[in-house]
Amino acid sequence: MAAVAPVIEIDSIVTRFGEQVVHDGVSFDVQRGTLLALIGGSGTGKSVLLREIIGLQRPTSGSIRLLGTDVWTASDDALNATRRRFGMMFQDGALFSSLTVAENVAVPLTEHAQVPRGMLDALVHLRLAQAGLGPDAAPKMPSELSGGMRKRAAIARALALEPEVLFLDEPTSGLDPTTARAFDKMVRSLVDDLGITVFLVTHDIDTLLTVADRIVVLARGKVLADGSARDVIHVDDPWIQSYFSVRTMVGGTSGPRT
Amino acid sequence: MLRLSGAWRLATLPVIQRELSALSLPAELSLDGAALTDIDTASALALLNHLRASGVNVQRLPLAGFADNDARIVGRVRERLDEVNAPVVRRREGLVAHIGRETLAVLDLLLGHLNFLGEVLVQMVRSLFTPARIRLRELTSQFEQVCLNAIPVVALVTMLIGIVIAYLLGLQAEKYGANIFVVDGVGIGATREFAPIIVAVIVAGRSGAAFTAQLGSMRLNEETDAIRTLGLSPMDVLVLPRVLALMLAMPLLVFVGDVMSLAGAMLISGPMLDITPPTFLARLQENLAIKHVYVGLAKAPVFALIIAVIGCRMGMTVSRDTRALGIATTSTVVQSIVAVILLDAFFAVLFQELDI
Repeated sequence: MAAVAPVIEIDSIVTRFGEQVVHDGVSFDVQRGTLLALIGGSGTGKSVLLREIIGLQRPTSGSIRLLGTDVWTASDDALNATRRRFGMMFQDGALFSSLTVAENVAVPLTEHAQVPRGMLDALVHLRLAQAGLGPDAAPKMPSELSGGMRKRAAIARALALEPEVLFLDEPTSGLDPTTARAFDKMVRSLVDDLGITVFLVTHDIDTLLTVADRIVVLARGKVLADGSARDVIHVDDPWIQSYFSVRTMVGGTSGPRT
Repeated sequence: MLRLSGAWRLATLPVIQRELSALSLPAELSLDGAALTDIDTASALALLNHLRASGVNVQRLPLAGFADNDARIVGRVRERLDEVNAPVVRRREGLVAHIGRETLAVLDLLLGHLNFLGEVLVQMVRSLFTPARIRLRELTSQFEQVCLNAIPVVALVTMLIGIVIAYLLGLQAEKYGANIFVVDGVGIGATREFAPIIVAVIVAGRSGAAFTAQLGSMRLNEETDAIRTLGLSPMDVLVLPRVLALMLAMPLLVFVGDVMSLAGAMLISGPMLDITPPTFLARLQENLAIKHVYVGLAKAPVFALIIAVIGCRMGMTVSRDTRALGIATTSTVVQSIVAVILLDAFFAVLFQELDI
């Protein structure tokens, strides 16, 4: 698969809530097979941008193309077809609480794909394995899972239809460092092994330094910096400097990915 | 040698499955992926599982001609093949086991309610001796919600009930020329039975459900734990004000219900039975023994106690997921209404025996 058109094209997005301007002309593209991390202080509209890309919230102006479909002008049918080509993991999993983990993962498979009978269980187990969960998690209810397992189950559900793009909202928040690093590794392997494009919103500096190919920094309604961890860390901006200085103070156990 | 070609995608699984099952495969096999344009994990799984079922040693299967990323995908699925095909654990229980578990759950719930009721009563008596412990702010704000804000709906519903009773009684009484006895009937019926029951049902749906929802969401949000950690008792801060507010509110609401249902009856008695309001009131004064009103009012705080205790306990014990909160809230309403009607039946017999 040669990378031709970008997977996500964000073009001069403006978002206003009443008087408050959240995005004031945000533009960038995402190429296939990259792991992009979106960062920024609280209230800079990271999650809002994510919701705008996947068609949950309408920007005031600007256009967003996801997998070649203009999210905000496409017909419902076209948008629904696109929806089957990306997966989204919400911050706290958003697993359906009345279904078991296996049933949660099976929802997209039974609704949108014709999986032959007898293969469904194996396919659900494969998705769980890809997200780092064993078959023993399958019959559990979401309320019986720990935070990390809930996120993994949510990833398994997002992966169900072999999406081309995977969106992750704060994948490592609320996880202990060991679990968070294992999570990063799993996400990285999705990009390397399956060629999935991953777009994640995070606050986790370790995620940025160890697995992200590209970092986009949002601040004051604009894209403040865009590039590899190496590049971004040296951008001369007070917010970026103070953001990464937390890391250098601790001593930087893991250097930026090259 | 099994030669794969074209795009192997999740969307084409039925085709893949059909083609695969048409093949007859030797035990010694190798895979050639040179003509593959694309393969995803789902179709790789379908392929490997089929080969395995046909007796091919999948783990030793040579792969030739695959593009790097395709080989990686097939390899990843192959590594996990055993884990993926683990038998599915399904939780199933027999009918007897189900009945048994549910019965125990109900007994457990009732025992828990009884325990909680006991604790509430003890704390209530204790706070009578140390009135400073009563949280007046919370009590008044709860009182506003469960009493003042409930007056319109209580007034409306009980008035309609008064109209309906007078109307139905009137239809019968008219035949015998016994119009005036409608006043006696409505007087006793409304004040002794209908007003307390109707008000209790409204309160169960309005305030009982609200208690469960409030306390339950506080518990989900760990607010009740925060209260405990700050050295306060959720019983004092949350439960007692609600129980007391409802016990104070309910007799007042029943009184509103009494007045409104009689007013409703009076309203329809004029045009329908030729009983003018003055006649209606005079007859009511002569014939309605005040004890019926007292009986109705006396039941109110008991109903209130039970509704508040059920509502609070269901909220305090809700398990920590959002679905459970919805279930608990519904359950509160059902339990409260059943409890109120059972209690009412008990009161009916009790007052009969006591000749009240």
